[in-house]
Amino acid sequence: MILNPVDTILSLVLLSVLFAFGASRIPGLIKVIAFQGIVVSIVPFFIGHEMALGGTVFTIATLIIRGIIIPMSIYIAIKKVAIKREVEPIVGFHASLLFGLGLIVAATYISRELNIPSVSDFTLLFPTAIALLVTGMFLLIARRNAIAMVIGYIMMENGIYLIGTTISVRARHIVEFGILLDILAGVMIMAIILQNIKQTFDDVDTANLRTLKE
Amino acid sequence: MVEIVFLTPFITGIIAFFLPKAIGRSFLVGTGAIHLCLSLLLWKNRPEAFFKNYFAVTPEGLLSLLVISLLFFLISIYTISYLKESEIKSENIFTGSMLLFLSTMTMVTLSDHIMVMWIAIEATTLASAPLIFTYRTPAALEATWKYVLICSVGIAMALLGSVFITLAMDIGNVDAPLSFSALTEVAKEINPTWLKAGFVFILVGYGTKMGLAPMHTWLPDAHSEAPSPASALLSGVLLNCAYLGIFKTNKIMHAAGLGDFSGTILIVFGLMSILAAATFILKQNEYKRMLAYSSIENMGIIAFGTGIGGIGVYGAVICMIHHSLIKSSLFLSSGNILLGYGDRFIRNTGDMVRRMPKTFIAFFGGFAGISGFPPFGIFIGEMFIIVGAFRAGHYVAASIFILSLCVIFAGFANQAMKISFDDYKKGDPDKASHFKERASMVWPQFILLLTSLILCFYMPDTLYQTIIDAVTAIGGGLK
Repeated sequence: MILNPVDTILSLVLLSVLFAFGASRIPGLIKVIAFQGIVVSIVPFFIGHEMALGGTVFTIATLIIRGIIIPMSIYIAIKKVAIKREVEPIVGFHASLLFGLGLIVAATYISRELNIPSVSDFTLLFPTAIALLVTGMFLLIARRNAIAMVIGYIMMENGIYLIGTTISVRARHIVEFGILLDILAGVMIMAIILQNIKQTFDDVDTANLRTLKE
Repeated sequence: MVEIVFLTPFITGIIAFFLPKAIGRSFLVGTGAIHLCLSLLLWKNRPEAFFKNYFAVTPEGLLSLLVISLLFFLISIYTISYLKESEIKSENIFTGSMLLFLSTMTMVTLSDHIMVMWIAIEATTLASAPLIFTYRTPAALEATWKYVLICSVGIAMALLGSVFITLAMDIGNVDAPLSFSALTEVAKEINPTWLKAGFVFILVGYGTKMGLAPMHTWLPDAHSEAPSPASALLSGVLLNCAYLGIFKTNKIMHAAGLGDFSGTILIVFGLMSILAAATFILKQNEYKRMLAYSSIENMGIIAFGTGIGGIGVYGAVICMIHHSLIKSSLFLSSGNILLGYGDRFIRNTGDMVRRMPKTFIAFFGGFAGISGFPPFGIFIGEMFIIVGAFRAGHYVAASIFILSLCVIFAGFANQAMKISFDDYKKGDPDKASHFKERASMVWPQFILLLTSLILCFYMPDTLYQTIIDAVTAIGGGLK
């Protein structure tokens, strides 16, 4: 089997997913989502669906927002308002990594079973998309740091974007609206900044966001 | 022009951000009145939309729209007095967000396109987040954060569900616009496997917003931290809007002959929500959180009824209307309780029957209505659902349903009695409450409860016909 360029860069994304499972500090995770954001938004250019002008504009906008603006704003946020850099795992790093490996195997197996005709040329497309989605959810659940949760959310968005842009032209028109999800991510980042300006102590452990029970 | 109905509050909302307090308040009521008139006109004429592919007047949309309009108008009258009594710092943000919230919810009810619906539901999250953050306390910030995070994940899931529906169309070689009405027509040709996957993701996504367990965790926090008029809106109409998204997708499922599949999932989620509410309502010590759990229960009832099909769907729609009317009146009353006692814990209230007699009538009437006492509509709705469940042979599910309703009633009754009749221990009993029950702070509740009462005995023909039109599309009806 000869790898095409799409699969080559997607294999790097899969590696970055594993890195995200093992990353203990926020700056590393920021680099991961910046990289994934850029890769995920340029993949549609290589898939071979015809691309209208509007589509190109959307793709570039996504590239700028996911690859540059959001990672930068998170980076500035943690610099300016002294936020804890540790991700504070609920599930340990070894267990996380093991889960990540299992996830990639399962994702590959499932995508083979699903057998979607339009993406059958690219072996790694669907596995990567599923891996991104589940990794994002995992970070949302298994990390206590609020920034890490936002990063998980963005990773999930990237997964959805990858699925949508590649399976069909019509689906691509839909996930282009996913850009609106970034507004929500922006609101979350703002909430974290607000939280930290308010607090005298300097961490965004969501355990502090847990005084409301049930 | 259908679009005017949601453009009006949108424009006034944006203007309200820049207005001083006094004008902003009258803006709120004025827009509410105009909106109500426009909705009634829409009911009468049922015109076609200007952008036909994106918006349409559907029976289920009309039902929700009328509820939204009526509720918003009454709530806005209450809000004026509430704003005078309570100290909210930047009031223009509050009024502006209320109006934008109204606009986005109206857009949900009128949208016919899958993506317009999705955008509108996302916009409701954005418009309502500032409302929850109104008091600017750490707890309010936490509730807002939780609300935005959990609902965003839900919205992302719904987006994925929409992607799967387009995939189902591609595999089935269907070429149709992505609108609910067009998809319902061609539903038979859509690939069933991916349509099912799409439905599940959309149900989980919008279900998060609707407050179905286990995705309900944002709801008690958001409802308890928001100012009472905003809680009334959140609980009374926002949850319905999310339900509308599920309802319309369910229509496609029924047209595709997959009604059993979607029904089973709805029953499971519905029962889970009712059970979750029954578990948590027993030990609530804050009255607004208790009301929030009751909302989760009612959303569970609605999902359950929709899943049952037949007469149950009719019951679910009845429950939806009456829950909106009664629950928003309860939340408004809870605003009075908060202003009167200055405390959100049940243990620090008491003796409401003498301290605030009018609020007591509104609160207790609402309590009776929401727990399903006969003169109110929830009773009829729940009866229909239970009868429908037995007819369809869901004996176990129906038993769990009835048992949970009893538990919730017990929990709710216990707390309502404490608030109303217990001695007021905390403060000085001789000192009269400084809180005056203005007419504008009790009459909205009375009108809401009265509407619910009247609708039980007399339902206008157009209303009845619209409900029937809405429910027949998903296998419901009074047979």
